[in-house]
Amino acid sequence: MKLPRLSSFFKGMNLTVFTFVMIFLYIPILILIIFSFNDARIITSWKGFTFKYYAQLWENAAIKEAFWNTMLIAILSTVISTLLGLITALGLENKRLKGRRGFMGLLYAPLVIPDILMGVSLALLFNFLRVNTGMVTVLIAHITFCVSYAVIVIQSRLEDFDYSLIEAAMDLGAKPRTTFFKVKLPLIMPGVIAAALLSFTLSIDDFIITFFTSGRGFDTLPIYVEGTIRRGTITTINSLSTLMIGFTLFLVVFTKRIRKSLISFF
Amino acid sequence: MRDKREIKPVNSFNQKIDYILAAPALLWLTIFFLVPYFIVLIYGFLTPDIFDIKFEFSLDAYRLIVDGTYFRPFYVSFRMALLTTVLCILLGYPVAYFIARAKEKLRNTLLVFIIIPFWTNLIIRIFSWRIFLSYNGVLNDFLISLGLISQPLEIMRTDWAVILVMVYVYLPYMILPLYSVLEKLDFTLLHAAMDLGANEVKAFFKITLPLSMGGIFAGVLLVFIPALGAYLIPQLVGDQRSLYVGQVITYKIKNIPRNWPMASALSFTLLILVAVCLLAGYYLYQNRQKTKRFG
Amino acid sequence: MEEIRIQNISKDFDGFLAVDGVDLTIRSGELFSFLGPSGCGKTTLLRMIAGFETPQRGNIFIGDEDITDLPPYKRPVNTIFQNYSLFPHMTVWDNVAFGLKIRKVPLPEIQSRVSEMLQLVKMEDQSAKYPAQMSGGQKQRVAIARALINKPKVLLLDEPLAALDLKLRQHMLIELMNIHDAVGITFIYVTHDQGEAMSISDRVAVMDKGKVVQAGPPDDIYERPASIFSAYFIGETNLITGQVIGIEDEYIQLRCNMGDGEFFEIDSTFHFRPEVGQQLTVSLRPEKIAISRNKPRIQDDINVLKGSIEDILYLGSHTQYIVTVGKLKFRVFSQHKRVYFDDTALDWDEEVWLFWHDTDSWLIDEMPDEAAYASESMVHPPRFGKREQSRNIAEEQ
Repeated sequence: MKLPRLSSFFKGMNLTVFTFVMIFLYIPILILIIFSFNDARIITSWKGFTFKYYAQLWENAAIKEAFWNTMLIAILSTVISTLLGLITALGLENKRLKGRRGFMGLLYAPLVIPDILMGVSLALLFNFLRVNTGMVTVLIAHITFCVSYAVIVIQSRLEDFDYSLIEAAMDLGAKPRTTFFKVKLPLIMPGVIAAALLSFTLSIDDFIITFFTSGRGFDTLPIYVEGTIRRGTITTINSLSTLMIGFTLFLVVFTKRIRKSLISFF
Repeated sequence: MRDKREIKPVNSFNQKIDYILAAPALLWLTIFFLVPYFIVLIYGFLTPDIFDIKFEFSLDAYRLIVDGTYFRPFYVSFRMALLTTVLCILLGYPVAYFIARAKEKLRNTLLVFIIIPFWTNLIIRIFSWRIFLSYNGVLNDFLISLGLISQPLEIMRTDWAVILVMVYVYLPYMILPLYSVLEKLDFTLLHAAMDLGANEVKAFFKITLPLSMGGIFAGVLLVFIPALGAYLIPQLVGDQRSLYVGQVITYKIKNIPRNWPMASALSFTLLILVAVCLLAGYYLYQNRQKTKRFG
Repeated sequence: MEEIRIQNISKDFDGFLAVDGVDLTIRSGELFSFLGPSGCGKTTLLRMIAGFETPQRGNIFIGDEDITDLPPYKRPVNTIFQNYSLFPHMTVWDNVAFGLKIRKVPLPEIQSRVSEMLQLVKMEDQSAKYPAQMSGGQKQRVAIARALINKPKVLLLDEPLAALDLKLRQHMLIELMNIHDAVGITFIYVTHDQGEAMSISDRVAVMDKGKVVQAGPPDDIYERPASIFSAYFIGETNLITGQVIGIEDEYIQLRCNMGDGEFFEIDSTFHFRPEVGQQLTVSLRPEKIAISRNKPRIQDDINVLKGSIEDILYLGSHTQYIVTVGKLKFRVFSQHKRVYFDDTALDWDEEVWLFWHDTDSWLIDEMPDEAAYASESMVHPPRFGKREQSRNIAEEQ
């Protein structure tokens, strides 16, 4: 059936706003990419094409360290929060579980409370416990904000699960354990992968919570970048940013699953 | 024949196992999410120290909240969050509508274009705006070269710069939930309404808008609340004379002399504010649902 | 090959008695159907045989083995699910091989048995496809292959054709019968469609409210319904209530109220011995009644009634007439061959004669639920829903 047609006024307005938003969203990114090849100390005006800041990037030990710190935290927090998320989602699958509403509330709360509050509260917790901040505290913080997302993404996949498949597997002779590993797990795997990708991206993107929970000498890339911008020595940031944008583009464009999970998340 | 036995369907859940499965993450969130807020609550009633905190009872921090000394940062943050949210709705709704009404094959591609910036590192996006907006930045160069202005505009480090970048960062959070509602909306209803004599504008306000209210509520939740606690954007592009709540809290925690009781009191107040906003939103939404059902 | 014995099985879902003391014996190699309206307990009974539900009371045996408490994966039983339940992440080949892989059958044997099975269901050239790429009929075939490859003693089919369109359903029905003949194991077939059950089954169990109302070969159930429910649920029928006024040799005479104070008498053979004065119901199938504008010459006018045509429904292979006799309404089917009397078609409001052979009616030792039906029973036989009943009562008043 044909949809009712919008008048040209409405249509034109929507198209105009869409185009405007697209320009709005992409101009800064394009400028950043272009200027990463700019041969000038002051980044704001164009002085000629160069690769030299990419080379500097390669030689900068602090950036390399921050990069590896980011990766380490991202991988560890992704693995841990995805596993935690998976088993929790399996437990909360039971809609008749007593106290389920409360548990769901606890899971959703971190999503609706500003990040800065989680950062402050964790900073004070670690102070209260007299724990030295550093890698471990950052990892704990990242797991804390990733695990809710992981549970919810996996849960939405479980909700679509067709339970007659479990019966079919058992009917064909599979014991509960085999049924889980051969039928249920493979079928919810896209959800698990989506949860992992989401956790990974949230982790490498986070600034504020890391800012409150990392000590001196443990910088992740966002922390390093922010510090550099504040100190004003920003020549390498353009090239670093361009590489990071490239990484994002790669993730989003080439992994259909991130897109799907993100769209279905809302 | 046998006596009545316990029923246990094959596909049923085992409560005990389910509790064990759900326990680790819930325990984790209790320790690292719930308990810290109690510490924030307690720290608000202690005495500040230059580097740390003294475990002596004091009401100073909350006194300063109650007497309005810290009213301004809350006001500034609230105003900014509100403006950001409104702008996000105004810009996001037509975009979401446009994508939802696009050809099915095109939709995913369009969504990807919305998502790419969303998945780009936050700091990098803010940084790119600094290049764009700064005094001798790209925008000013461009406008001067066109002859539209003779002197560079002071955009960076104003409240408007904060709102601009906030909208930039949070717009996808508004578009995506709106899209997911509009995409499921039955547009033949519009046809029906127009068939019954409503013109297009009327049909939009009577049909499309009420039916997409859920998406707007979700979007507002995802934009307004994080915006209340914004720190990084005001810090990097904002006017340093008008401080936002997030900045004040961060300074009290990070800068020396530290004042953790004050930071705690401010955080807890912000938490209460967020909770009130959430409850108000929830109440409004429920109420609307009710009138929809009976009205 | 062993028979299945279901002994006094009951199943209660939070106070709702889904299956209520069912006793059945299903013979080895039989194609047996559970037939009944939705909610009659047929699917629950099937699920208890499969092992997905445990009964609170009673036992199920296959041969001498009590399988009541065995989990589904230990039962020599396989199921065709209503929505097929193929594993969406596996190809046709992997779906079919699933049961054998679980049992750790050596690969060469799996390969040969899978291709044999796919051949049986005519899917040998589709083995690399995924369920999402197949039509309903193809999924159905794969589901059959996936179940039969395990060489079960019993195959359970839960409304297997419900999701298919009419033509395909008729086609699959014949194929199912062929497959049954080819493998020779017991099939238990659950359906709410009497046509399916009648055409495919060796025997049918008609179920209502958790109980087996009648079990037997299809023609038996149609011709000799044991209860008003069987008579009404299978096919269509006229239910006439009356009082026995005489018994003579192999006949009884029944006096029936026309609803307007007038009475008529009918004669019928009987299969149980009623007592004079007893109230009972006669089931008279619409196709057994002859209809004519000329009065038939029948001795003593036994089973001859005069009425008028209220409605005519042309149904292709036959025409259905609604004929009022007094306040009663008879439903009559008449095929389109007019060799007996004159050739002009019957018309609305025309006066007609109904007559039937006294061996074509069937006595049921039961009265319809509501007294209200007694006078209005025939064409609109008792519906088994409350609303309909109360409406009829209201109309009476």
